[in-house]
This record gives sequence, C-alpha cells and structure tokens, in this order.
Amino acid sequence: MNKVITINLGGNAYQLEEGGYDALRAYLESAAAQLQGNPDRDEILSDIERAIAEKFRALLATHKTVVVTKEVAAVLAEMGPIEVESDEAAGASASDARAGGAGGQSRTSEERTAGSSGMPRRLYRIQEGAMIAGVCNGIAAYLNVDPTLVRIAFVLLTFVWGTGLLVYVVMAILVPEAKSPEEKAAASGFPATAQEFIRRAGEGYYRAMKGFPDRKARREWQRQFKREMRTHADQWRYNWQSYWTEHVPMHPGMGFTLPFLSLLQGAATILWICAIISLLATGTVFGLVLPANVPVWVGALLLLIAYGVLVAPLKIARRACYWNLGRARWAWSFVYLMDAVVWLVVVAVLLWLAFHYLPELRDAIHSFPAIAHQAADDIRAWWHGR
Amino acid sequence: MNEKFSAIRKGLLEFLVLQIIAAEKVYVADILKQLSATEFATQEGTLYPMLSRMRREGLLDYEWKESEAGPPRKYYELTAKGREQLRETLEYWNHINGTVKKLGQK
Repeated sequence: MNKVITINLGGNAYQLEEGGYDALRAYLESAAAQLQGNPDRDEILSDIERAIAEKFRALLATHKTVVVTKEVAAVLAEMGPIEVESDEAAGASASDARAGGAGGQSRTSEERTAGSSGMPRRLYRIQEGAMIAGVCNGIAAYLNVDPTLVRIAFVLLTFVWGTGLLVYVVMAILVPEAKSPEEKAAASGFPATAQEFIRRAGEGYYRAMKGFPDRKARREWQRQFKREMRTHADQWRYNWQSYWTEHVPMHPGMGFTLPFLSLLQGAATILWICAIISLLATGTVFGLVLPANVPVWVGALLLLIAYGVLVAPLKIARRACYWNLGRARWAWSFVYLMDAVVWLVVVAVLLWLAFHYLPELRDAIHSFPAIAHQAADDIRAWWHGR
Repeated sequence: MNEKFSAIRKGLLEFLVLQIIAAEKVYVADILKQLSATEFATQEGTLYPMLSRMRREGLLDYEWKESEAGPPRKYYELTAKGREQLRETLEYWNHINGTVKKLGQK
C-alpha cells in the first residue's frame, strides 16, 4: 500500500505515488536551478511540465488512475537532464559569439552535469514505506536494491546469535532520519559507491577467472584451493587444541573470565558497527574525518582490518578458555551457559535502551502482529513477482 | 563513440532542428521522434531550452493547438529570419564539406 499525492501539471490533475512525487519534485527543482538566470526560465519550466503531463497521460487508462514510482522514474529518464548552453547563462558573451561567427554558425555548448548526479550518497533512515524505523529502507536506498531483500537479510541475521536484531537496534538509534528534501535525495543519490565497488570487485574476479584455459581447469583449481584451505585450518586448530590441553593447567578461574571476554568482544563489535554506520552516514569515524581522496569503502575496509586486529587477541583468549575447560565435561555446559547469559543481558540492555529512547520502536512492538503479516505478504509478493 | 564527435553533434543540432521545422509545423515530440532514428537522438531536457532560445533570437515562432491526449501543444514554425538562417547554414555547410574533402588531397 502506498500513499498517493495529487498534483496539477499543465492544468490537469494527476495522481502519483509518493516516491514518484518526490522524484518529480527533485527533477523540477534541479531544472529550475539549472535555468537560473535564463530569461525564458518560467516558460521552459511550464513546457517541461506539459511534456511530463503528456507522458503521464499516455500511461493512464480508465482502470489505471495512478502513476507509480517506477513509471515516474522512467518518464524522467526519458526527459533527460536540463542542459543549458554555457553562453546562455553568461548572457553578455552570447552577442560576442554571434558577432564573431560567420552567418549561421551553430554554437557548441559545454557539457554540464545536471542535477544530483555526482552527489555523494549518505546513509539515512527513510520513513516512507518503512516497517519499523526505516533502517532497512535506508540501506536499500543506499545500496540501490529492493528493501524486501534487506529485510530478509536482517531476519536471517537475527537467527545468528541475534546479530540482525542487535545491528537493527544500534542503527535505529545512530543513523539519522532523512527529513529535509536534500537529505532524502542524498539517501538515494545517483552513484552508489558500494555498488561501484561490488561491480569492480566482480570484474576483477572474472578477469582473473578468465586466465584459466577452460571451465574445467578453473573449477578444479577452485576445488583444490578450498580443500587446501580447509585442511590447513583443521590442522591448525587441532595443533592448537592439543597444545592447550597438554601444556596449560586447568584453572576454574578461566570459566569466570570467559563471559567477560565475551562481553569485551561484544562491546568491540558494537563499537565497530557504530564506527561503520558513522562512516557511512557522516563520512567521519567518531569525529575523525577521512582524507578527501579516500573513498568511503576504503575507510570501511580499514575499519574491518582494525576490528580484526583488535578482536583477535580476545578471540584467542576465549578459545583458550574453551579448550582449557573443555577437558572437564561438566565445565562445558557451565561455560556455555555463562556465555549465553552474558550475551542475553547485553541484548536485553540494548533493547531496553531502544525501547525507552526510540518511540518508533515502541510503536513497532505494539503493532508487531500487523508488521509480521505485512512482511509475510511482502515476501510472498516478492517471491511471486520475481 | 568518440567523445570529439559529441561536440560536433551538439553544434549541428540547432541546424537540424531548423531543417525539421522548415518542412512542416511540428511539436516537440515530432522533432524528438525524427531525431531518435539518427545519431542526433536527444531529449526534452536539451530541446526545450534550445527552442526557447531560438524563439528569443527570432528564428522561430509557435502557435497553440488543442490535443485530444492531454494539455495543448506548441506547434513550431520558422520565421522569415529562421528561413534565412537555414539557407545560410546550408550554404555554409556545403562550403565546409567541400573544404574537408579538398584539403590534403594532393
């Protein structure tokens, strides 16, 4: 279900979906900005409005009365950006060009990138069409994918130690909501750094894969590579395990240390998620600004590495505790229980904080049954509409 | 396609629009349709500002006509000045064409 907005274009009323209305308004605003100083500005703008109206008219029929967002986007793409000849805006230079040129010479115009292409994207929460706090919606706009896919990813992640839920709550608190039209435009601005990054990474991978003489050789290489990696990992783990079980005396204190190590690691994880979100949303990491020529994804990669380095000793210590206690059967269940309790407490505290400081989430919990129904419908629609 | 060609195409667009309008009274969608089959395919976003400038320079004029499918349309036609400009441009174009062929022929 989508909200519909009625507009007046060239003297006739048209009904647009809200997303389409926003896109149209952004297009006309950018057109007006491009035509700043043009003596025919108002006339050109009304010409453009009439042309859009005619295209909308062609899309409608007796039982199709609303122009959906996708159709608006297609019409605007067909219209193309407003291109103004460079000497047009200058005004005075136009007469010079005419005087100097031989009769009937056409003027060339400089390329000018119009509107919002080239605008950097920012991560925002988007309330329009949101289910809870608009986090998934915002991520979908940022990555330029279907919001349903992001929602499914979050639900799946929730099954992995509640990560999805945790990330969602943290993001709902930290990511700003897109309120002004500029912010909304920035939330789904044209060039997606992430998308470009994924495309480039994919390209590099395929080029490397093409180096193999045929498909069979490539497959064989992949299989062997995976097998080797697995053997190495197993070997390493085994060696390590036997080292600990043989050389380190068992100490019950380790059972008590373990939950705190888990807690530390959890805190580090939350800190890292906050840093990534802050990087995507504002371009800074806790007040630290990236150098201008470093793209955002490099920053994210650096954060990932920093996180790995920071957490590695914690991981090793936790493993050590597990293996050390692992020799005694009874200790296993105790350790797992302690670990689980600590995690649950962290998640519960976060949820409590979110419940008290985030009215959207509170409302969402009250209306959860309706949301679940709609999510199920969404997934079904997506499945059938693929 | 070569980027240098895009500057040439842009410069010639006004000339081609004059030629299309000279043949018959047209509105913007007609002009776009005729151009769309050629390498000069363009969009409303480019054409409207250009037409309004040409009208300001007195090369063309328009009249309103009602349409069954939507708002009224502007039908463009050339003024005497526009016709003169087209004639001059054609002449100049042929001249340039000759120069291009002639140079470096020896």
